[in-house]
Amino acid sequence: MKRVKLGRQKVRLRTAVVALGVVGTLFAGRLIQLQAVDGPVYAAQADVTENRFVKVVLPAERGAITDRNGNVLADTVDAYDITADPSMFTPSQAKVADGPARAAALLAPVLGVDAGTLERKLSAKGRYAMLAAQVSPAARQQVLKLKNSNPVLAGVFDSEHSKRVYPAGDLAGNLLGFVSADGKGTGGLEGEYDPLLRGHDGKRTYVQVGGRRVPTAGGKEDPAVPGRDVRLTLDRDLQWTAQQAIADKVRETGADSGSVVAIDVKTGQVLAMASAPGYDPGDLSKVTSRQLAFPALQEAFEPGSTSKVMSMSAVIQEHAAEPGTHVTVPGTLQRADRVFHDDVPHGDWHLTLTGVLAKSSNIGTILATEQLGKNRTQINDTLYSYLRRFGIGQPSGIGYPGETRGILAKPQDWNASQQYTIPFGQGVSMNALQATSVYATVANGGVRVTPTLVAGTTGADGRFTPSPAPKETRAISASTAGTVSDMLEAVVGNDGGTGTYARIPGYRVAGKTGTANRPNPNGPGYSGYTASFIGYAPADKPRIAIGCFLQGPHKTGHFGGPLCGPVFKKVAEEALTEMNVAPSGSPSPNLPINW
Amino acid sequence: MTAGLSAGKLRVTGRFGPQQSGLRRLVARDSPFRRTDWPLLLAATGLSLIGALLVYSATRGRTALTHGDPQYFLQRHLVNLVVGMVLGAGTVLLGGRRLRGVAPFVYIGSVLLLLAVLSPLGSTVNGAHSWIVLGGGFSIQPAEFGKIGMILAMAMVLAARVDAGEREHPDHRSVGQALLVALVPMVVVLAQPDLGSIMVMVVIVMGCLLASGASHRWIAGLVGAGLLGCVVIWQAGVLSQYQINRFAAFANPALDPAGTGYNTSQARIAIGSGGLLGKGLFHGTQTGGQFVPEQQTDFVFTVAGEELGFVGCLVILGLLGVVLWRACRIARLATDLYGTIVAGGIIAWIAFQAFENIGMTLGIMPVTGLPLPFVSYGGSSMFAVWIAVGLLQSIRIQRPLSA
Repeated sequence: MKRVKLGRQKVRLRTAVVALGVVGTLFAGRLIQLQAVDGPVYAAQADVTENRFVKVVLPAERGAITDRNGNVLADTVDAYDITADPSMFTPSQAKVADGPARAAALLAPVLGVDAGTLERKLSAKGRYAMLAAQVSPAARQQVLKLKNSNPVLAGVFDSEHSKRVYPAGDLAGNLLGFVSADGKGTGGLEGEYDPLLRGHDGKRTYVQVGGRRVPTAGGKEDPAVPGRDVRLTLDRDLQWTAQQAIADKVRETGADSGSVVAIDVKTGQVLAMASAPGYDPGDLSKVTSRQLAFPALQEAFEPGSTSKVMSMSAVIQEHAAEPGTHVTVPGTLQRADRVFHDDVPHGDWHLTLTGVLAKSSNIGTILATEQLGKNRTQINDTLYSYLRRFGIGQPSGIGYPGETRGILAKPQDWNASQQYTIPFGQGVSMNALQATSVYATVANGGVRVTPTLVAGTTGADGRFTPSPAPKETRAISASTAGTVSDMLEAVVGNDGGTGTYARIPGYRVAGKTGTANRPNPNGPGYSGYTASFIGYAPADKPRIAIGCFLQGPHKTGHFGGPLCGPVFKKVAEEALTEMNVAPSGSPSPNLPINW
Repeated sequence: MTAGLSAGKLRVTGRFGPQQSGLRRLVARDSPFRRTDWPLLLAATGLSLIGALLVYSATRGRTALTHGDPQYFLQRHLVNLVVGMVLGAGTVLLGGRRLRGVAPFVYIGSVLLLLAVLSPLGSTVNGAHSWIVLGGGFSIQPAEFGKIGMILAMAMVLAARVDAGEREHPDHRSVGQALLVALVPMVVVLAQPDLGSIMVMVVIVMGCLLASGASHRWIAGLVGAGLLGCVVIWQAGVLSQYQINRFAAFANPALDPAGTGYNTSQARIAIGSGGLLGKGLFHGTQTGGQFVPEQQTDFVFTVAGEELGFVGCLVILGLLGVVLWRACRIARLATDLYGTIVAGGIIAWIAFQAFENIGMTLGIMPVTGLPLPFVSYGGSSMFAVWIAVGLLQSIRIQRPLSA
């Protein structure tokens, strides 16, 4: 085999090798330039300036709050914040001298914000400006459309910022609470159930260069877990009736505040709980911090005569007296260093024990409870134990932020006069729900069901998880409850009783009025009154217990019967209608009140 | 045969007899094993394996491409390598002489394959209609095989009369025929249009002509015609807007760093931030962050730049240098002009592609979609360069022992 003769080719190949060497050296030189000389510059760019991972929070949609039938009380709708990077509107970036002014003129009509304000924000230093918060999806679409057709708007951005809406306005507003601007439930049920309602925000990581997303550079997305819907035990219609009734009454009587609580006797579920004045959590602009409270649960008051039902329960159950026991009630009574009176001046009254309750005699109640023991210590201990069984001095168990448990001192700490006032409801305090729950307990045959406000929650999967069954404890025996119930019927049913305003045609009603001295909210001592009526219906087969409370009524009297009786009646009638409760089939026992 | 009667007899037979044991045949002076160009083979293997690591590093986080399997591209790269090596070995076994016989068929086959791209079988990837999707995630780029067909056909035409002993250098007629032969696949590729492959093919034509010993006047004339062609192409508006943008971005990378210039500026950040020793394999932030698009294919060199640093880049350049140096040696020592021309075409091909690929990542050349031979991910390219290695080896094996 012969080698081919290579003439020119040898030269050319040699030239090629030299050329390859030159190119190789050129590359090496360029590499030295890039990696050694300019290396630190590129390393810095690799770190921060040009390349950056952008983390975007994907907000979890907040759960809705509905009434027991799924009617929406609080919901979340899509909304967007329109923001801007003012540094992208400078003449050098925007390529025009009057970037902020042009952008402001374009955006002002869409965002509904004054053009001058926008221009000022866009001309500011810094890299962030909030142009308009929580605009509608439609407005956001318009902004994006403008941005696409106007290069000057390159520095305008949108971000999801969903909006909490309350379709029913101020209905149960102060009970629901509200959501702060940063999306946290603040106060009320929004606060209490925030961890459930909020869900878990997701996160999207992507790469951005020069303000634009790099699609090829990958990224990661953890989807958001939406919050759970919370279904309340409230009935929207009953709530509306209750709220209207109490709001009207507060206005009419000039009271500082008023509350209505309606409890399903069997289940302990709160069907309505309204306090006036209220507010619309969707518009907090005109709300004072004082109005943000929810008086029904957050305000403790001395209940007065409505508390006598617990004293009577003790007297009956301890066999200290019977409904027909004769009590001679003097006009005044000296105990400790105090002289006690009844609401109305009177000579000697000849009342049955039922009559003491029906006429709401403080003196009669003191005398009756003195039969509870041989000495004051024994009496006090017994009274205290009954008050505790009815849930006084302890949280109602409903679970509401800032709920007051009221004040019930230990019996050994009761001062000389307190031991005589506690039997008729002064010197002890509670909130409206606690007070109403006492009557629900009597109505439920003596078994106290922990009041509940949340029926359950619904997850994103649509599955409903009911709340755990409420705790049930027996406060008094069924027969005691029956006896006391009969006595309470006399309060409403007997023409000599104080609760005649609460009568409902066709239904037997049991209840008790209260007209208490109100502790001065602004200082020591008492000032004004707390008027109340708490009762339940139908008395023969109780379904609903309703309490009405007015703090500081003064324009049209201050007695519980005439002020709160009608409110009870209005709410109870609505409840009985809605619950399809048949009228009472048996006559009232009509216990005598005099002898 | 009565072998096995005694050990001694068997040894004697083995030493002096006509039949030799496998091992002895392997180490014999004229055996293919001894005559294989080992530096070439090892350099090419080294490049391919480095490529596997770089491809793995660039793709293991690209979940959108890997279907959830981080080793998706690594495994495929290695499979491509093995298939390429088998194809190369097959080429060697076929032998240079027989390959010369089948050259026309290889040429015609490759042209048909190229034409198939223009038929409905073809599909467009990244702006060039130059792929045939086979299904199952496989696709081939016929232009890669067109290069081989073109080299073999040109070598056959150019060397015919010289190897027959009729002339010392190819005459004008042979050169003219060879150019005609080269023109056919180039026209097809231009129709796709695959600008990068056209550039490579032009360079291959130059390489073949230079290696054939054709007259300087042909070379000079073609270079002149090429320059003229560039002007015409630019003026006639044959180029797509994206191609013009690439040139503009090449001229001024700061023009649109988020758009057309994005690739180049990100590539440069990746390489520049690597420094002397790099950030360590799998530790590149640019690579891990997937800032450089097409990083496993056309921009694979940036992975080396960032993670292996200057030293790693030099190793790759050095290995490419070894491949080209050995190829030049094989071209010079070939037994016939045919071998020299084939080797010359291959040198021009690999050298230009490496130059353009690395050059574009370094900002020396404009961006064109050309793979880095051996290193880049891509089946067709891997098969083609390993067939080229096989061709080089078969040329070398044919040469006389006295070399």
